[in-house]
Amino acid sequence: MQTQTIMDSIQEEKKPYTLKDFVWIAFVVLGSIFAYTQYSSLMDVYEVGILIGTAASMIWLGRFWPSLMTMSYWVAGMSLLALWTYSSHGNVIETKETAFFLKFLVSSESAIMWMSALFVLATATYFLALFNKSEFTYKTATTMVWAAVTFGLVGMMVRWRESYIINFDYGHIPVSSLYEVFILFAVLTGLIYLYYEVKYNAKALGGFVMLVISASVAFLLWYHFDRGAHEIQPLVPALKSYWMKIHVPANFVGYGSFAIAAMIGVAYLITSKALQKNPNSAFAAKMPSLEVMDDLMYKTIALGFAFFTIATVLGAMWAAEAWGGYWSWDPKETWALIVWLNYAAWLHIRMSKGWRGNPMAWWAFVGLLITTFAFLGVNMFLSGLHSYGEL
Amino acid sequence: MSNTQPTGKKVNKKPSQIMNFLGSMNLAVTLLVMLSIASVIGTVLQQNQSFQDYIIKFGPFWTEVFNSLGLFQVYGAAWFILVLVFLLISTSVCVARNGPGFMKDMKQFSEKLSQTAIKHQTNNRQFNTDISLDDQQKVAQLVLEKHGYKTKIHQRDDGSVTVAGLKGSWNRLGYIFTHISIIVICLGALLDSNLLLKYRELTGDLIPETRTVSLDQIPKTSWVGDENISFRGTVNIAEDQKSDVLFLPYDNGFLVQQLPFSIVNKDFRIQYYDTGMPKTYESDLELYIPGREEPIRQTIEVNKPLYFENYAIYQSSFSDGGTKLKLNVHPLLAPVVAPLELDTAINKVEPLKTAHGKFRLELDDFRNFNMVPMTEEEKAATGRKFHNNGPTITFKVRNEQGKAWEYENYVMANKQEGRYFFMTGVRQSAAEEFRYLFIPADAKRSKERFFKFLAILNNPQRVSRIFQEQYPFTEDMDQRTYALQLRLVEQLMTVFRRSGFAGLTQFIQTNVPKEEQEKVSDYYFTQTTFALQSAYMALLREEGVVKSIQDEISDFDKTWFEDALTVISSLSKYGPPMYFEIDSFQQVQATGLQITKSPGKDIVYFGSTMLIIGVFFMFYVRQRRFWVNIKPENEKLELTLAAKDNKNLPETKTEFEKISNQIQTVSKQA
Ligand code: HEM
Repeated sequence: MQTQTIMDSIQEEKKPYTLKDFVWIAFVVLGSIFAYTQYSSLMDVYEVGILIGTAASMIWLGRFWPSLMTMSYWVAGMSLLALWTYSSHGNVIETKETAFFLKFLVSSESAIMWMSALFVLATATYFLALFNKSEFTYKTATTMVWAAVTFGLVGMMVRWRESYIINFDYGHIPVSSLYEVFILFAVLTGLIYLYYEVKYNAKALGGFVMLVISASVAFLLWYHFDRGAHEIQPLVPALKSYWMKIHVPANFVGYGSFAIAAMIGVAYLITSKALQKNPNSAFAAKMPSLEVMDDLMYKTIALGFAFFTIATVLGAMWAAEAWGGYWSWDPKETWALIVWLNYAAWLHIRMSKGWRGNPMAWWAFVGLLITTFAFLGVNMFLSGLHSYGEL
Repeated sequence: MSNTQPTGKKVNKKPSQIMNFLGSMNLAVTLLVMLSIASVIGTVLQQNQSFQDYIIKFGPFWTEVFNSLGLFQVYGAAWFILVLVFLLISTSVCVARNGPGFMKDMKQFSEKLSQTAIKHQTNNRQFNTDISLDDQQKVAQLVLEKHGYKTKIHQRDDGSVTVAGLKGSWNRLGYIFTHISIIVICLGALLDSNLLLKYRELTGDLIPETRTVSLDQIPKTSWVGDENISFRGTVNIAEDQKSDVLFLPYDNGFLVQQLPFSIVNKDFRIQYYDTGMPKTYESDLELYIPGREEPIRQTIEVNKPLYFENYAIYQSSFSDGGTKLKLNVHPLLAPVVAPLELDTAINKVEPLKTAHGKFRLELDDFRNFNMVPMTEEEKAATGRKFHNNGPTITFKVRNEQGKAWEYENYVMANKQEGRYFFMTGVRQSAAEEFRYLFIPADAKRSKERFFKFLAILNNPQRVSRIFQEQYPFTEDMDQRTYALQLRLVEQLMTVFRRSGFAGLTQFIQTNVPKEEQEKVSDYYFTQTTFALQSAYMALLREEGVVKSIQDEISDFDKTWFEDALTVISSLSKYGPPMYFEIDSFQQVQATGLQITKSPGKDIVYFGSTMLIIGVFFMFYVRQRRFWVNIKPENEKLELTLAAKDNKNLPETKTEFEKISNQIQTVSKQA
């Protein structure tokens, strides 16, 4: 038999480039060039590098997960609408109170409110779907998460621009204060969850994962209304670095993944308890199988661990440049190490002892408590070099 | 025993018990957990505080216990280092034992795996085909290669053929990378640690300095030189000054590090946001290196250090570098305006001999800006959110017993409720907030009138004379009563100056019988006010603001009077009777540099890169094997397919199904 025939008879493995992909590539490339021509005077060589890197990863990500393309078009469209509204009103911050679109939709504050509302609604809707087993309800919930993520990203993009409008000196990417990173956390956790939901048909886990996001939204709202944390503040000199643009997002991919792992752990524990009581439990039947949850827990922790490793290393490099030492046993640094060691131990135990199931689920949940302390507790209770986002 | 198990024990070489223990995963996990717990302690228990602080917090017993456990310096404690060393050993043993096996495993196709073993893999399938053995072999090979497997053919004695596929062997490399990287990072960190200093301290060769004394008073035992291969310390250099030493924090004190070059701070610049927060700061540095003609000139700023050989110089902070000050020290009890002029600078200590004892003036700090948020109305009026209250100096006045008052004085007058005041804050300990006096500015926006007025009040006889001038003796008065009244004015003024209106009230309470207090009090306060007003009128006349005491005085002068009395009435709570007026200043700033020598840094970075690459290989490359055993059997071919993944994941099964199906369909079609 001819080699060729055999090959032909095997289904094509590689995804071909379609028109959609070309549009996407053109969009990302043009968008990056536009950003470069507009803002290159504000970038140093590393930031140009980051722009190129972002564009390349977006092209790859879009093809890897096409839903991201659609979302990006929405984010770009709405952000441009906001920017255009500001610029047509002479780029003054008060426009956000007067211009209709800004006031009700796309000023950073409004967009973040929409994001918050949608995440909370999605949480309820996922649980409703779990209860009434309706495919349609699930679809609605998923759409809400997509919309929430979109609004969150729009909020961040617009906030970035607003920081320059308020006072040119203040301008910075919105990943510098506790308020800002909470938005980032909600968005990234939402996105990572959506990826696993589609890939592993794990929508029954939606409600559980959205619970953490809702909790972070609750904190965000309290922080906004009680503490006025949404006010854009200028950056301290130590934070004025391109490192922030990569260190913080990498960290939050880690935090987000760990949070998802923990909530899957909770779902796992509840399901396994239900099965223990009644092997034909109706609740368990609605949930993904224990094996799938166990595997997802491993996958999210692995993803989180990989990104957290990167983030910690980048953080060390940044510290070396800003504080003159790559490791100072500063509380935030030390807690990052603790989080990291904890998950390293988790992975080792799973690997070597082959532990699965309940103990690992508990451990994943405890992992979230440790992570939360590293993320929030350190800022609240311990002081150190990292005390930028104090409560 | 299957040879796909790389960690499988070799029967001929029994590893010793100790090696087994050291390389065990149990020990690894235990060490990881121990490190975490130690780290937690290090963050929860504040490190490197003074002993007194700990005793206040934990009591002497627990302080002793904690201290002997090294909990106040966890990261330098012997047991902490020991855990690290064990982790290093454990990881090394682990790599040494597993590494070679993993390396071999990377290249191993396991094509000789017995047919029974293939049949017993978790993922397996059997079916028959009726094409030629050659074709079948080719089909299997091509399909596997199409999926990215490398293949190897094994001809068996019984006439059957095994096509073995291997994919993703980098996973194993990932393991090796990750674990070696841990070793590399630890070694790099060890190189950057202060083990050498610890050793010298143990041998008594090195004693950290704990006093604040000038450089030439620090004994040689607190100095370190070139032999110190790694350090990290700080130094402040004022503008146009130079330094060739560095201060290394060590235990509860510090060490002085001699640098092989000297650094000159040519200029220091700082920019502020409108909130008064520093926006950027930078220093123009010159590095003079022995044996080099030209210095290295570079401007450094936060996040943009200067690298020179093994050294790195960072902009880390800033402070006052000895701002030059001209001060007028006003004695607050003197009957004349005769300030003492003082030429001094920040960071200096000046002895002061006064009529009220000897004092030390310690000039602590100078700030060029003091930004305060504006009120809503001001914001609306000016469009600005912050307002600059101008420069301040902070200083302490210490008496001979060592008791100190700390002050914060503003150079310029600031507007409060529409009037201008010179603010001066005082407190007796750093834990308190400053309490402010608001000295009212006169029409020239100066303190001139205030000190003149004060000088008059400081001389009760003069007040009494002024009183006498303004209300001369007339015939209808009783001579004795008039004389008594003049005496009373003098007395009241003395009490008022000593302790203000509050003092007056107290004077009445202690000296006047209870039933008469109310009446007397009314009278005394009227008289005091009368006297103060007379003194003030006299001053106004002297200034030429009014012609006679019958003239109407302006609202400005009226409120000035009230404001001045508020201040003078509380002067007694202001500490030693001196006011320090800033006549002029010339700011000198100092740059705060952090200098490191860190030979291990690149090693740590190298290890970190390896770690990241390794982690990705380990998680996202799965090592997969596939076997297709083709056995001719009664004119047909009997196929046994099996797959194995180094991690058994749900994907393994789906992939196996997919590849098997493809082999099956293609074989059928052929
Ligand atoms: C700080 C120290 C260490 C770190 C951060 C670390 C990290 C890791 C990670 C992330 C994995 C991957 C787990 C997975 O694929 O799910 C792993 C696997 C492994 N580690 Fe470690 N490790 C450390 C020390 C050690 C030590 C001391 C040993 C020796 C007992 C060891 C033995 C292993 C083994 C045998 C594997 C499994 C490799 C495989 O079969 O794929 N590790 N390690």
